[in-house]
Amino acid sequence: MNLVAVGISFRSASVDLREKIAFTEPRRDQASGDLASRYGCEAAVLSTCNRVELYLARPGGESLPDVNLLAEFLGEYHGVLPADMRPHLIERRGADGVRHLFRVAASLDSLIVGEGQIAGQVKTTFEAARAVGSCGPFLNALYQHAQKTAKRVRTETGISKGHVSVSSVAVDYVRQVFDHFGDKTILVIGAGKMGRLTLKHLQELKPKRILVTNRSPEKAQDVAAECGGVAVPWESLDDALIQADIVLSTTGAPEQVVSEKRYAPVRGKRSGRTAVILDIAVPRDFDPAIHDGETTFVFNIDDLKGIREQTLARRRTHIERAEAIVDDECKRFLDDWGRRKNGQLIARLTQEFEAKRREVIEPLLGRLNGKLTEKERQEIEGAFRLYQNKLLHGPIAALGEASRDGNGPALLEAVRRLFRLE
Amino acid sequence: MGITIACFGLSYLTALGLELARQTRPVRSLRIAGLVFGTAGLIAHTIFLIYQQPNPATAFGSLVLLAWVLAVFYLYGAVHHRTQAWALFVLPVVVLLVGLSFIFQGGSETIGDWFSADNFWGSVHGILVLAASVGITVGFLASLMYLVQARRLRMKRSPLGGLRLLSLERLETMNRRAINLAFPMLTVGLLLGFMRVPSTSDPSVGWTAAKVLGTLGLWVVALVLLYLRYGAQVPPRRLALLTIAAFGLMLVTLVTAHPFAMAEGTR
Repeated sequence: MNLVAVGISFRSASVDLREKIAFTEPRRDQASGDLASRYGCEAAVLSTCNRVELYLARPGGESLPDVNLLAEFLGEYHGVLPADMRPHLIERRGADGVRHLFRVAASLDSLIVGEGQIAGQVKTTFEAARAVGSCGPFLNALYQHAQKTAKRVRTETGISKGHVSVSSVAVDYVRQVFDHFGDKTILVIGAGKMGRLTLKHLQELKPKRILVTNRSPEKAQDVAAECGGVAVPWESLDDALIQADIVLSTTGAPEQVVSEKRYAPVRGKRSGRTAVILDIAVPRDFDPAIHDGETTFVFNIDDLKGIREQTLARRRTHIERAEAIVDDECKRFLDDWGRRKNGQLIARLTQEFEAKRREVIEPLLGRLNGKLTEKERQEIEGAFRLYQNKLLHGPIAALGEASRDGNGPALLEAVRRLFRLE
Repeated sequence: MGITIACFGLSYLTALGLELARQTRPVRSLRIAGLVFGTAGLIAHTIFLIYQQPNPATAFGSLVLLAWVLAVFYLYGAVHHRTQAWALFVLPVVVLLVGLSFIFQGGSETIGDWFSADNFWGSVHGILVLAASVGITVGFLASLMYLVQARRLRMKRSPLGGLRLLSLERLETMNRRAINLAFPMLTVGLLLGFMRVPSTSDPSVGWTAAKVLGTLGLWVVALVLLYLRYGAQVPPRRLALLTIAAFGLMLVTLVTAHPFAMAEGTR
């Protein structure tokens, strides 16, 4: 197996360079085809906002272009000087390249470890390469194994558990308090950008109704129209707070909108009903003292960001286990590929030994015909077969080991010559 | 029949150990192993009940029967709420009840004529009080989970951290339904028990027997719970605390000797 992975990522290059050499989808597919035809190999181009990587492979063992040639290729495509790119390019060959792709697909090399997008991007990359004909048997097998590895990491570790966007974390909190939403009222206060994003997530819960209020009635109408809610006057905020089960506050007000003193009568009129207040405004709209942890839960932007950090820290604790899975799958892939690639040669070698054994044993048994019992005849045949297997064991095991170490092609050639299998 | 309390008690304990291990290493094999041990325990428990037919009027009988119902409840929850820490709350109670039944194993009265046609109302009384006990125990479990979940939200902890539990609303509903069902059963069961007291001539069967007073106290607590919920609209957290107290009272009541059983034993 001969594989090279060359590219840049957020670890090695700034966004300035990354955006310069990023590929659009049509250009990516064109580049895959060009690489394959120019260097006579299998090729795929992975391009995301955080990385651009070229994967080239030759199952046979002939050498592949080095990092300088590939820097020139990228330079030609994007009009960037190869010398500017060269210090940022990372090259991984053979088993290292396999391991790298598995880590990328499993989101271990991502900016946000455990994010789910990258597995889909890897899938799209290799499927596109297959569509343009640049993805052959090796890259195809490699990509399928990468997907399998990503799935194992996702299901056997907690690396992808939890949400890391503020709006998703907010919805997670709401789900910890409420079970069903068909009877719930959401109140949206203000019309901030972050608020609209969170509201989109909340809408997916299919609440009974959405009330929208804003100092500007026009803005309230706009947001209400967007989310299929009802605009209520700013003066009716307290009444709306009494009705609401979930409050999403996102005003740009320079001062606090609802103090504890103002909320106390609201709480009294809610008949002990639970309320979740998502205060994602800065400065905060709700007095933190309103959070009593009994019937009223207030989560502000810092709480939500804190959860995001906790989630990321939690994900990091799963990295060690995930790396072990990647190592395990990497070894399996190399073994499988080695077996697949060596399979033909081993079959020929076995046939050759089989024929030689027959050449020796059949005349011998012919000469001894009538002098041996059936049992003695079987024992002689068995002994020769055992001898043949013992002789074959050494070369077959060595071929497997060489495939894993990256010395497979040389040893394959040696075995071919030694046993005259041409 | 070679099945003893230790057989299913240890199976439940092993299932609990595996569930605890799953909290630190959430792998599928541990979950499956936990379910296998839990199921094995329940099968052994069921066979034990069929062969032993313990008297629900005794501490041993009521505890071992209640443990069986909760073991079914555990398995149902473990299968349906696979991501939640359900087993971690239910299994300790099952193990506790099995442990207590082991301690109170001494009295070996079988159902005998308690479930005969002659004692039909006695049987109905027993079944209703046992069903009410199940309701109070379920309410207790829901309350315990509610308090843990509420504390997590009060402290604004990560939804991923610690034990994964059902939402506050769901747990509160579970508690409410359990008590709503337990109360009428306890009321009718208690009334049937009271109606039987004058019919026995034994002096040990009196209104002041610990079991009678305990059950009466439990009924009062259940009534207070209903009033606080529907009449005074007390916050769910306080109701949860009171439900836990009700469970404590129920356990004490269960382990006291039943006056009818005492009378039966002295005859």
